[in-house]
Amino acid sequence: MTDRRPEELEMSRAKRVKTAGELDPSTNPYLAHHYEQDSNGYSNGGETSLSHFKRHKTTAEQAHVAEDGPNNPFNNRPLSSQYFGILKTRRDLPVHKQRQEFLDMFHSTQILVFVGETGSGKTTQIPQFVLFDDLPHFNKKLVACTQPRRVAAMSVAQRVANEMDVKLGEEVGYSIRFEDVTGPSTILKYMTDGMLLREAMHDHDLTRYSCIILDEAHERTLSTDILMGLLKEVALRRPDLKIIIMSATLDAQKFQRYFNDAPLLAVPGRTHPVEIFYTPEPERDYVEAALRTVLQIHATEPEGDVLLFLTGEEEIEDACRKIQLEADEMIREADAGPLKVYPLYGTLPPAQQQKIFDPAPQPIRPGGRPGRKVIVGTNIAETSLTIDGIVYVVDPGFSKQKVYNPRIRVESLLVSPISKASAQQRAGRAGRTRPGKCFRLYTEAAFKKELIEQTYPEILRSNLANTVLELKKLGIDDLVHFDLMDPPAPETLMRALEELNYLACLDDDGDLTALGKLASEFPLDPALAVMLISSPEFYCSNEILSLTALLSVPQVFVRPASARKRADEMKALFAHPDGDHLTMLNVYHAFKGQEAQDDPRKWCHEHFLSLRALQSADNVRQQLKRIMEKSELDLMSTPFENKEYYTNIRRALVAGFFMQVAKKEGTGKTYKTVKDDQSVLLHPSTVLGTDSEWVVYNEFVLTTKNYVRTVTSVKPEWLLDIAPTYYDVPSFPKGEIKTALQRVEEKIKRKKAMKGGR
Amino acid sequence: MAAQDPPTANGDVEEEEEDDYMNMIIEEPSKPKEKETYTQRRMRIQRESEALGRVKSKAEKAAEEAAAREAALSTSLFGTTSQANKGLAMMAKMGFKPGAALGSKDNVDARTEPIGLNMKEDRGGVGLDSEKKRKFREQAEGEVKRVKAEEGDYRERVRREREEARLEGMVGAAMRVAERMDGEREEEAAGGQQPSQEDGTRRKISTKPLKQINILWRGLVRRREEKERDRRMRYDLHQSLSRLPTYEDDTEDKDDKRALGKDKTPYMLVEDLEEEDPELDELNALEPGERLHKLVMFLRDEFNYCFWCKFTYPDKEMEGCPGLTEEDHD
Repeated sequence: MTDRRPEELEMSRAKRVKTAGELDPSTNPYLAHHYEQDSNGYSNGGETSLSHFKRHKTTAEQAHVAEDGPNNPFNNRPLSSQYFGILKTRRDLPVHKQRQEFLDMFHSTQILVFVGETGSGKTTQIPQFVLFDDLPHFNKKLVACTQPRRVAAMSVAQRVANEMDVKLGEEVGYSIRFEDVTGPSTILKYMTDGMLLREAMHDHDLTRYSCIILDEAHERTLSTDILMGLLKEVALRRPDLKIIIMSATLDAQKFQRYFNDAPLLAVPGRTHPVEIFYTPEPERDYVEAALRTVLQIHATEPEGDVLLFLTGEEEIEDACRKIQLEADEMIREADAGPLKVYPLYGTLPPAQQQKIFDPAPQPIRPGGRPGRKVIVGTNIAETSLTIDGIVYVVDPGFSKQKVYNPRIRVESLLVSPISKASAQQRAGRAGRTRPGKCFRLYTEAAFKKELIEQTYPEILRSNLANTVLELKKLGIDDLVHFDLMDPPAPETLMRALEELNYLACLDDDGDLTALGKLASEFPLDPALAVMLISSPEFYCSNEILSLTALLSVPQVFVRPASARKRADEMKALFAHPDGDHLTMLNVYHAFKGQEAQDDPRKWCHEHFLSLRALQSADNVRQQLKRIMEKSELDLMSTPFENKEYYTNIRRALVAGFFMQVAKKEGTGKTYKTVKDDQSVLLHPSTVLGTDSEWVVYNEFVLTTKNYVRTVTSVKPEWLLDIAPTYYDVPSFPKGEIKTALQRVEEKIKRKKAMKGGR
Repeated sequence: MAAQDPPTANGDVEEEEEDDYMNMIIEEPSKPKEKETYTQRRMRIQRESEALGRVKSKAEKAAEEAAAREAALSTSLFGTTSQANKGLAMMAKMGFKPGAALGSKDNVDARTEPIGLNMKEDRGGVGLDSEKKRKFREQAEGEVKRVKAEEGDYRERVRREREEARLEGMVGAAMRVAERMDGEREEEAAGGQQPSQEDGTRRKISTKPLKQINILWRGLVRRREEKERDRRMRYDLHQSLSRLPTYEDDTEDKDDKRALGKDKTPYMLVEDLEEEDPELDELNALEPGERLHKLVMFLRDEFNYCFWCKFTYPDKEMEGCPGLTEEDHD
């Protein structure tokens, strides 16, 4: 499915103007349904069961009656039998018992904090409760419900569409970064928090919405945090806007305090007690300890599935293999029950992600020992995905977390101990279906002393360049006093402003420049956006567009542990001697070639490439291309025969990434990053030899060694030429890099003088 | 700075090549007047080029990398950016003051420092590092305790040794007193018939075999005689020059021998001294305090003399003496 977001946005805005302004909306076929409701429904007290409802004065009982049909209260079509089946289970959900309580509170306040444990049904039910009371379709408004993750937005929207017996994309839709499934009749929109923020850039008061629900607020994503700050201000400007903050943890007082002591409604989850076990001694190797624990559970504990938390894709795949091997041996030699292991992580293809919902395997023979399934997942299994049947949780106490430090300007993923809140959340996963057990692979003392209370919100762990651009676009000028729940360190803001200034997105007064305004239109990091916007100057916007798309999706190269050598050979086919960016471009061009397009799946498999990543790059490219066309940026290419073809691309790279440059140190393999003076190595995956003096890099990977990944060689002359304000040589600290740049400056001067002399 | 502190700088020069190289760079401008000698310059250049040319080991590089990272991570950007930072200038325009936090002024929890980075280098479980550190600390503390305990032992030992030496000295003094008094009594008994020809010690050596001397001060006599023997041996050796003291020169007659001081047989006491004396050994095995006590009691019983009062009382009762021990006389 291609992304229709920008277009759709434009269209729906245009349409709204029409319906509001012109007199005859019925001429618009998309609005036929709306029109019908408008004329027959509300004012004349006609056909839908909601027509007599008084907005913000409804009761749970009224809604109950309306839900019972026989016609759909929102589109007046007859309700299906499937609907009634689901309705029955819905009414068993914990939130349902407190519907009236919810409505009373919803009526009495503008901002409401709602706490419901996972499994309470809040994500699916609360927005529907709101629909029956807020009646947005009578006011041409929408109810928005944000989700931190794309997958959640999609799957919840589908679920709620089923519950309401409507087609996904009509009354209920969703909107995520590169995909918009909504229509003119949409009244409930599930969307990522980032999407709502993007909409707010063009509509500061979020006038389309009558109620905004921020779900999973406890996850404290960057976008949710900014939305909260924004909504706090919008609430003052729009007293009619209702806001609900939904959180899964009991740390709700913080939200209440932040929203000027907003009232709180708490709904208990459907949970069973979980017994927690600690290890007597700290573990030497948490992965090994985890495997041992899982196998021990399988050997000794009664029926029930196991959820093991690990940190990353590689670790998880490795663990899955080992558990399966050991378990097979246990089945052969000790007559253990069958065991099935499934990995679960963000970049896993959806089809494979779906497998975790498969039931546990049947006993090998009737009456034999019961089968068990083991899910080895990252912390996405912590809150966002609900897997029934989990009785045992194994928690080594680590997760991979993004960290950013403005002092060395590194944003990287690091394995870090989780927080106490996280640990509780993990343990809670064991008590979803019946009383469970949680095995923590650390001591109780370590739990108390080593783990922080709450995970640091993302805003404290991120580079804020993009956020600052967004805030500027949101019309917030005083960034220093913008009331965030957890304001980041001042140095982080300083770095962001400085970077945006170097990228010419902000002028010296801190105001958005034309380039900055344009860059904020792209759902990209400022450096990528600036590279893309300036690419026409280098006659290679087509190529840079492809490259930007490739850099926005997961790794295209696949390197399975079982066939590393073969994978490397295949990668070598695409290798470009000047670097990884150009190599990726070669891959993309080959992928778009006739041979590959004939059977992309086979071609990708043969060449050890990720079809999913390439397809999604293709999709992203389409989106970005639309924005470019809309912004009147020319799409052009240097003829491939021209010897400047690759040079132009490399120069365009510098235009965006001049702040991510490293220079080789002496004769060794190490490089030093410009200005930050950090020693780095080229990541082993690079195609680049170590003979390049200067390289731009896409990513600084922080491990015990510092690596730069995705690198391409550049010429120092370009740095001075393309980014003169950043490469202001006299301001550089004394050192090898300064000396080298001074030599380059002199060389350029000599050349100019010679030319001038002629 | 560097000029004020030349000894440390020199110390570093000898110890650490790397430090030395760094120091030179810093020191140079501050000491422009002091002229470098040719040798110094040559040495410096050699050291510098060695430092430059040496290929650093992986561990060193990793350590440097980590150190550079740590240094950068622990330095606030507000303190270091000397030239006007545009980001900071923009923030100042929005009303920011360095040292303050961002956000609403009511938010007291707002942070002023970025979150630190903690690199995990192995698969150690949660709490393993601190557990290791704790163990290490305990071990280190144990070590300190042990050293301290040993220190205490040493003091105790020294104290004991001193005390013993002191007591030994007093034993010696008591032995001398006992010997003198015993000698006086013997002389009295002899009625002063033998006027002293030589000094007392010499006379005694010749008069009594060791075994007949009271065990209590026999040790003193024996030591004295051993000393005398050694002295004489050295003297004889010295006198005889190239000759062995036992050398009998046929050309010397009796008078010659007397004139040369050879009339005495040099090893007169040797046999006596070389004889085993288990009785004396047994006594010497006792603690000095005990030996002293025996002597003190002997002096009291035999001579009505108190070693501590340094006084010979007229009768057995020894009226006026506070007691038997040293403490009684304090």
